[in-house]
Amino acid sequence: MNPILSLPLFALLLGVAAIIAAYYVIKVKDLVYASSMLAVLASLIAALIALLGFGIVSAYLVLVYVGAAVMFIIIAISMVGVRGRESKEPFLGFAAASSIAVTIGIIVLAGKLYNLYSYPEYVSVTQAASGLLSHYLPVIALIIIAQAATLVEAISIARRGEKE
Amino acid sequence: MIIIDQLTGAIVMVISAIIIGIGAYGVTSSRSLFRQLLSIEVIFNGLLVLVLSLLSFNAIIATYFGIVIISVVSAEVIVVVSILVAYMRESKSVSSEDLEEGGV
Repeated sequence: MNPILSLPLFALLLGVAAIIAAYYVIKVKDLVYASSMLAVLASLIAALIALLGFGIVSAYLVLVYVGAAVMFIIIAISMVGVRGRESKEPFLGFAAASSIAVTIGIIVLAGKLYNLYSYPEYVSVTQAASGLLSHYLPVIALIIIAQAATLVEAISIARRGEKE
Repeated sequence: MIIIDQLTGAIVMVISAIIIGIGAYGVTSSRSLFRQLLSIEVIFNGLLVLVLSLLSFNAIIATYFGIVIISVVSAEVIVVVSILVAYMRESKSVSSEDLEEGGV
């Protein structure tokens, strides 16, 4: 196979796998399996992002999002044991989904936004870290404060009403 | 090589539009709050790929954007799950139909 063609081919394969995983997230009845499929979807998206040339973002997505956030969802749903009725409105959902997907597709294809994609230049970890710390230090500080506040907030909300 | 990049960009953007549409279907069709949260995360995954492919002309800005947005979304997920667990304890329900204006 021509190695040049491998980039769009693998992007297509990973994308189709991601679409199947996304479908299972909303279709599987058991929420534990649905959130596990979300972890699979995020891992496939991380692979797609790495294929597009953003290795650092891909690693960050796996480490922080899959490793912490999605695992938190899986563990929370497993431990709480979410049950209950799940009524659905398929027509409303289908109308919303098709209108959103078609609108984005038309904007991308008619506006030729795909011309904007070009394989990005290599960004090393050192380059990214030094740039973040030199130009975006207030943003990093805000993110750290927000993460710490989130931790405290999550613990306090989860323990709410425990003493009563 | 430019044609290959354009083909890759078109494939990725169309796939991300489909993933966003699937997430929108989950949010609007289901009444379970947890299912809606999972569907919103599906939308986030599709949007992340779309935005990164649009920002690929400046790799370093795209990297910063990805790191910041993933951090913020991870924090948001943890807060929302905690709120849903607290709401479940109060009302014994996970349906958005039972939500009332002014709190549970």
